[in-house]
Amino acid sequence: MATPPQRVTYEATVERIDELAPQTRSFVLRLPSTPRFTFRPGQFISCILPVGGDTIIRPYSIASDPEDPSRIEICLNLVPNGLGSHYLFSLALGAVVRFTGPWGTFVLDEPPHAECVFIADGAGIAPIRPMLRRALARATHRVRLHYAAAAAAHLLYAAEFEAAARTHALFSFAPLLHGSFLEEIMRRYVGADADRSRHFYICGVGEIVPQLRDLLRRSGYERRAVQYEKW
Amino acid sequence: MATLRVLFESGDPERVIEFDPQKAPFQHDGRPGSILDVLLAHGVPLEHACGGNCACTTCHVIVKSGFDKLSEAEENELDLLDKAPGLTPTSRLGCQAVVEDDVEITVVIPRFTINAA
Repeated sequence: MATPPQRVTYEATVERIDELAPQTRSFVLRLPSTPRFTFRPGQFISCILPVGGDTIIRPYSIASDPEDPSRIEICLNLVPNGLGSHYLFSLALGAVVRFTGPWGTFVLDEPPHAECVFIADGAGIAPIRPMLRRALARATHRVRLHYAAAAAAHLLYAAEFEAAARTHALFSFAPLLHGSFLEEIMRRYVGADADRSRHFYICGVGEIVPQLRDLLRRSGYERRAVQYEKW
Repeated sequence: MATLRVLFESGDPERVIEFDPQKAPFQHDGRPGSILDVLLAHGVPLEHACGGNCACTTCHVIVKSGFDKLSEAEENELDLLDKAPGLTPTSRLGCQAVVEDDVEITVVIPRFTINAA
């Protein structure tokens, strides 16, 4: 029998649950002091969830900053028939969540020496949030956030982004509640000028993510300057 | 029937799995009929931290033979593979590489699939 790879499994405790939007909650997980868990902005944890007598693995991006070593925050939508989200939504404060990680190569350690454009669709804001905060903490060039949601109530952390836009001279926040994401990005970053030095970080659910990737890469942006995570 | 021969860099004994690709999926993670799908259904552990959704590189495998007989890699998979440790010209993500016909494939499961770039 093959030996399964050995991984550290962390046991965190649900410390806080916030209703961020209709059918969307954030869970603040208090981390054990040992083994110590560290991660990079943009990474995710892989939750090991006991569901219906089975064990399922579900990835959740970390929406909080790595600077806090004692807790992490994940946020997720209640997915119709989604085993993982229904399980997590059933948890009460104090419940234990087991996970491995951190995982993922969609990360931002240092902002690029160029204009930095974040594009988030829906709950795709989760990994973008710590990436954006890291970028703003060390920004030398313009930083923009384009964030699409079905309605204003579904824009997660909007007050935080609006506050950052007021206080940070290099940052602008552009929520998108109507119209086409693809057209908006094309208008601003393909049609408006010939500058192709920008770096993009895109996250969301479904085909909009590769569509944005293809649009930007085919418009002359360098392949590695267009980073993305498709859920 | 298709044949999937699995070698382990860790030194574990090889496994040979015979299966009917037309009967995919065999379990719930990864693309139906993918190497991950076949391995998990036959008791061979392969990491898949993102749940088999092409969002990490933990199911990285190296195809020793039959590379051209697997489904073609899409751009998302290639972008992720770029960041996989131990990348080779015949690397694939187990969750994406589908065995579509009655062919024989040999893969090596690397010892380490450290995900952080």
